Amino acid sequence: MLEASNVSAFYGDIQALWNISLAIHGGEIVTFIGSNGAGKSTIMKTIAGLVKPKGGNIVFEGIRLDRLPAHKIVELGISMVPEGRRLFPEMTVLENLEVGASTRAASRLRYSNVNWIHELFPILKERSKQVAGTLSGGEQQMLAIGRALMAQPKLLLIDEMSLGLSPIVVERILQVIQEVNRTKKLTIALVEQDVGIALSVADRGYIIEHGRIVVEGDTKLLQGDGRLMEAYLGVDLKGKAE
Amino acid sequence: MRSHPGSILGLAVIAACFIVLPLIVDFGSSTMNILILLFVYVILSQSWNLLGGYTGQINLGFAAYFGCGVLLTHLLWKSGVPIYFALVAGGLSAALLAGVIGLPTLHLRGAYFAIGTIALAEALRIVVGNVFPSSLSLPGSYASNFNVFPRYYLGFGIAVLAMVSVYLLVKSKFGLAMVCVRDDEEAAQVTGINTFKTKFIALLISAFLAGLAGGVYSFNRFYFHHISAVFEPTWTFEPLMAVIIGGSGTLIGPVIGSIFLIVLSEIFVQIMGEAHLIVFGVLLIPVVLYSPSGLVGWIDWLRKVMGGLTVKDEQ
Amino acid sequence: MEMFTQTIAYGILVGAMYGLITLGLGLLMGVMKFLNVAHGTFIVLGGYVSYWLFTRYGLNPYLSIPLVIVVMFLIGLVVYKVTLSPLLKLPSVGNRLNSSMLITFGIIYVMDNLMTIFWKPDVRSIVAPFTGRSLEFLGTKLSITGLCGFAVAIVVAVALYFVLGRTQFGKHVRAATQDAEAASLCGINVHRTYLISSGIAIALAGVAGVIIVSSYSISPNSGLRWLLVAFVVMILAGEGNIHAIVPAGLVLGLLEAVGVFIVGAPYRQVVALVIFIVILIFKPQGLFRKRRLTYG
Repeated sequence: MLEASNVSAFYGDIQALWNISLAIHGGEIVTFIGSNGAGKSTIMKTIAGLVKPKGGNIVFEGIRLDRLPAHKIVELGISMVPEGRRLFPEMTVLENLEVGASTRAASRLRYSNVNWIHELFPILKERSKQVAGTLSGGEQQMLAIGRALMAQPKLLLIDEMSLGLSPIVVERILQVIQEVNRTKKLTIALVEQDVGIALSVADRGYIIEHGRIVVEGDTKLLQGDGRLMEAYLGVDLKGKAE
Repeated sequence: MRSHPGSILGLAVIAACFIVLPLIVDFGSSTMNILILLFVYVILSQSWNLLGGYTGQINLGFAAYFGCGVLLTHLLWKSGVPIYFALVAGGLSAALLAGVIGLPTLHLRGAYFAIGTIALAEALRIVVGNVFPSSLSLPGSYASNFNVFPRYYLGFGIAVLAMVSVYLLVKSKFGLAMVCVRDDEEAAQVTGINTFKTKFIALLISAFLAGLAGGVYSFNRFYFHHISAVFEPTWTFEPLMAVIIGGSGTLIGPVIGSIFLIVLSEIFVQIMGEAHLIVFGVLLIPVVLYSPSGLVGWIDWLRKVMGGLTVKDEQ
Repeated sequence: MEMFTQTIAYGILVGAMYGLITLGLGLLMGVMKFLNVAHGTFIVLGGYVSYWLFTRYGLNPYLSIPLVIVVMFLIGLVVYKVTLSPLLKLPSVGNRLNSSMLITFGIIYVMDNLMTIFWKPDVRSIVAPFTGRSLEFLGTKLSITGLCGFAVAIVVAVALYFVLGRTQFGKHVRAATQDAEAASLCGINVHRTYLISSGIAIALAGVAGVIIVSSYSISPNSGLRWLLVAFVVMILAGEGNIHAIVPAGLVLGLLEAVGVFIVGAPYRQVVALVIFIVILIFKPQGLFRKRRLTYG
């Protein structure tokens, strides 16, 4: 579905990604894990068009992404839940959702999609008229995901989902993610700090270190390889085996 | 500029030319007048540069200080005060004005400060226009004593004074503080710089110099049809233009810009009259957008290409 | 007593106009953080367009408003494309603000002088059958031009409220204002949103110009005067508080009317300046609390 070849990205003069090549297959849940500052978010932002890559290219369903502005990339079917949620603080919950469907295709289905999001996250329906800035962390994350879903994406990028959230909320969100992936065949790419969460929900994973991909593979295999986990992530998963 | 023996020599030569040539060659009074106007612009643009280019406070109502200096110098001189005192008084009055208005307005962020300065200049223009509705002129005795030379040298002297003082200021610790405030006011505060004091002092000095410029201008004119005209935004715009096009935040920039300005207006006045201002306005936009270091930036680029030191490096 | 109600009535009518004048400036500032110092000049330009339509075709100025809107909107698009959009590439907002001030300051010169060339420096105003006439209402005289200005101001303010609050475009504008990057992630073309907002802002200035040329007069460099009024109102309203602008205008109008009543007409603008300085010292964040733009 999406292929990146030899992509390098910079923040100003500082190089953040070095010759990244990866693929995301339709219908799967892929995760990017690694330590802080490794470049996971940068990959998301580059795919979404917030960071322009220098060198290499990114192709989504046959169309080159790396030259397109972010809003056009949304039109093609890629939607991102950004790090820190980035809601519109002075707009209501409902308005945030409505704005999520700003592309032509999405706006036609706006009404029915709002109902769909309300089913997935009932709390958002309750808080429809509330201003987004006053929501709790978990509610904000749900709203951010809901807003991204309103764009009718084929590929959903989630950047740092679990940061600062309570386990219950995380659990609920994971359920929703998996349900949406199953029922709507929505491809999901997830950047996660929490390795346990990431590996429990994803089919495949990439480990990123210093802006490079160091490991790639099925999550079951990754989980099983304790040395790998410890070496790259300082994680001891012996107690978390399936 | 670093005390490069080469550049000091160069400056000395240029200064000598300005001092000696008029004595030898007869430039004619119109050329002399143009040169005096050039000096006025140099002083004005240097002073705007001090506040705007070095300290980052964009003042869009600079004409207020200039006009204040013009008015006071004229009135004092007319009533018999010797011109030198009148000049200084003009400068001080402008500084006083700046101080009084500066105290409340400097607390504001850039946009509101700029707005406040425009408001001040306009208000002053209206009030002065109401208080002095008819024309102002000097008594005939002054006219018969007219000699362009003292005016020329006075203008030149004050221009040199302005440049030297800006130079010393910029090189001092205070100058460092100014630049810090310009580049990042919050960071400057965190490092212990009293940003308000820095801005305030820069404002006072800048206004004083502008007032002096006004005095020099006043010295050179006998008749003001509407004195309120010296408070018009044109007197803010032109030094601002000179600084931006010449290169803000440098010493040489305003001078280059002023020369450029005067030369252009002389050329255009022949062809277009007042409309030369249109050209300047149109020029300003691309300069601000694309080459913020102005002509100095171009010179730097040339020098880099030729492998020498840039003006920015030296400063 | 009668003088007092007259003063109040006058203050309200003028105040609404002050609010109208400020809307365009506030929109540009609130959405894009651009300070358009040439705002007053655009107001004057709008006035000239209306004046020209009136003298050439006898078109009632209030009827010319839609035409003025179209013309000024297009001009606004051009101004944005040519001068303002490059600013968006600048790193910091402070930088952007300063540069927008400088650039629009330059625009004043270009436009002022072009207008002087085209229309001569004379003062112009529209003198129509209704000019100078007034209606009697409860013992106070209300000038027709003032009433029309008031009506236009209210209509425009309400229209703006609805556009920003209820339309999809309005939501795009609000989203882009609150978080431009997140807005683009929702599929909003932020640059186009800015472009159209600029067009609207200049169109608003044009409408204000129509009112001014009918109620007062214009000349090529009278723009500065209206700019200052708009600044004061904008500060009174508080930053980014677009819907507080007309109320703030009303406050200024009333304060000014009462002030002039005491001090005398030639110093009207000085009264405004004094109010301005007092507000700056005591309440620089504006009189109105930053309202959450909930549209329920």
